[in-house]
Amino acid sequence: MSHESPETFADQVRAIPGGEHLEMCYSCGTCVSKCLIQQKVEPEYNPRRLLRMVMMGLREEAFRSPTTWLCSACDLCYPACPQQIHISGVIGAVKQLAIEAGYESPLETVSVDETLCSGCGICVMACPYEALHLVEKEIEGEMDLVSEVDANKCLGCGICVAACPLGAISRPGISNQEVVAQIEVPTDGAPRLITFVCDWCLRADDDVSLLESYPDNVRVIHIPCSGRIDPQMALLALRSGIDGVLVCGCAPGECHYKRGTYVSSCKISLLNRMFDQMNVGDGRVRFVQIGTQDRGCIRTEVDAMLEYLAAWKEAQ
Amino acid sequence: MAAPDAKPKLAFYWAASCGGCEITITELGMRLIDVGDLVDIVFWPCAMDFKYSDVEALGDGEIDVCFFNGAIRCSENEHIANLLRRKSKLLVAFGSCAYEGCIPGLANLYDAESVLERVYDTAPSLDDSRGTRPTPSSQVPEDKIEIPVFYDRVKTLAQTVDVDYFMPGCPPVVDQVWNVFQTLLAGELPAKGAIIGADAKTNCDVCPRQKGESGMRIKEFKRPHEVTLDPDVCFLTQGILCCGPATRAGCGLPCINGNMPCRGCYGPPDGVVDQGSKLLSAIAALIDTDEPEELPRILDTIVDPTGTFYRFSLADSILSELKYKRG
Repeated sequence: MSHESPETFADQVRAIPGGEHLEMCYSCGTCVSKCLIQQKVEPEYNPRRLLRMVMMGLREEAFRSPTTWLCSACDLCYPACPQQIHISGVIGAVKQLAIEAGYESPLETVSVDETLCSGCGICVMACPYEALHLVEKEIEGEMDLVSEVDANKCLGCGICVAACPLGAISRPGISNQEVVAQIEVPTDGAPRLITFVCDWCLRADDDVSLLESYPDNVRVIHIPCSGRIDPQMALLALRSGIDGVLVCGCAPGECHYKRGTYVSSCKISLLNRMFDQMNVGDGRVRFVQIGTQDRGCIRTEVDAMLEYLAAWKEAQ
Repeated sequence: MAAPDAKPKLAFYWAASCGGCEITITELGMRLIDVGDLVDIVFWPCAMDFKYSDVEALGDGEIDVCFFNGAIRCSENEHIANLLRRKSKLLVAFGSCAYEGCIPGLANLYDAESVLERVYDTAPSLDDSRGTRPTPSSQVPEDKIEIPVFYDRVKTLAQTVDVDYFMPGCPPVVDQVWNVFQTLLAGELPAKGAIIGADAKTNCDVCPRQKGESGMRIKEFKRPHEVTLDPDVCFLTQGILCCGPATRAGCGLPCINGNMPCRGCYGPPDGVVDQGSKLLSAIAALIDTDEPEELPRILDTIVDPTGTFYRFSLADSILSELKYKRG
């Protein structure tokens, strides 16, 4: 601890690693225009305003602001900032002070079923936000090592839900059971396609509504992050007679949850490598990465997949 | 002591497997003599002199418990599986081959012809230009010779006949074998379809190694012979693929205690349908890189993904199902 206690709220933020560049902000708002959270989730979300609140000493307002809690450190704003402020670092510093002051995250977070958890630590290593750690606890009368969630750090991306080999981690809406229950497509002549779409890769409203306009043979399953994908879901889909699986995630470097798109890309690549080894590799499970500038790309991808699957069915 | 004719009748059989399951039974040592006192062994071709006709002569359901090890690889395996099913009250898939296909099941990566070609034509140790192949039926001057038909697909016992219990392990460890014998002989029968001789959770649950911490990720997979392994920390944090996170506990960790990663032979834990894809999902979540173009190179360091993630469970996997559904 420093022996000189910082004077102002801004001093406190600056004293935390990441918060140093606070005062370089001249409130241009470029960060806001880059950010997907304001557009997709929370109109009140505004990094520019949060930085201003800090400089004006509006401590309680800053701690209550959704900006403090919703930033996922995707850093889309970072290269755009003319002052090169690492904005997520500053927001992280505010969040740290908010947590110390007893504020809590308003986000829906994951939870661990401690009776199922084996304490393997996979989730701990996989989490992009260091929100999980192992603790020694008494479970059903015995001391056991289990995973524990820091609800203030968890952003609910679901990467750990997919990574947990025992299905011990879940989050309302994206548990294994809830996702698998959606893997169902009416049977008819048209190619049956399951499209898993991450909540962030489609920037344009047109693209989102386009997905709803496909007929029943295209089932769209929304997931918070493509890193939530579990290859078993693709296998279950193919086994149930669905013709193809398309997973859509963010472009490399633009993933809303930092590493989800790498994780998903590794899973689908490995799955396809195994299909090739088994001599069943026929391009029916694909991963596409959609960049923030790629408007209209989802239609191209889905149509290309449907066309491919139609030809594949014809050849069977 | 019950009258001799009231002793339960036991059978052991060995289909497509390496013989390790038979050895694990002999590892019971002096306890085998106790078993011999308590039961009548009516069929155990590996250790005692029996013929198939001895089994055929038994009444249906006359064998109380049959421990069947080995996968179903040829018509003979299939025939005996059906025969023993009919003659047994309880049929136990004993060991990983019968339970989930095990190493023989990896032949599902190929078809029968490729396997035969490798074994009879292209293996480097061969010096035979005659194109010899096992022929199911062949005429020789003296008689017609029939040998079993070699199938395209390796199946598990349960994909062939109805199975009462499954006992994992390659091979099942001897203490678990003893526990299972005692449990079944005491008449304490678990629910049909139960996994016996193993625990519900995974090896990580009982592994004493130091687990991974936040931010520990894998940028390159290594194979055990390429590095000096720290005996006290999690293999995954050392970049070594360990199947422990998705493998049922119960073996007592002989591999891990020998400073080798878990290879997955006890099969999936409770609640996991497809061991390989769950393992893949867990391992892929640990891969990290600052350069996306590096990803294929990192994945290349997983030399044989199917043989690694499904080393013991390929025949029982959704991946296999997809292959054979296509016909």
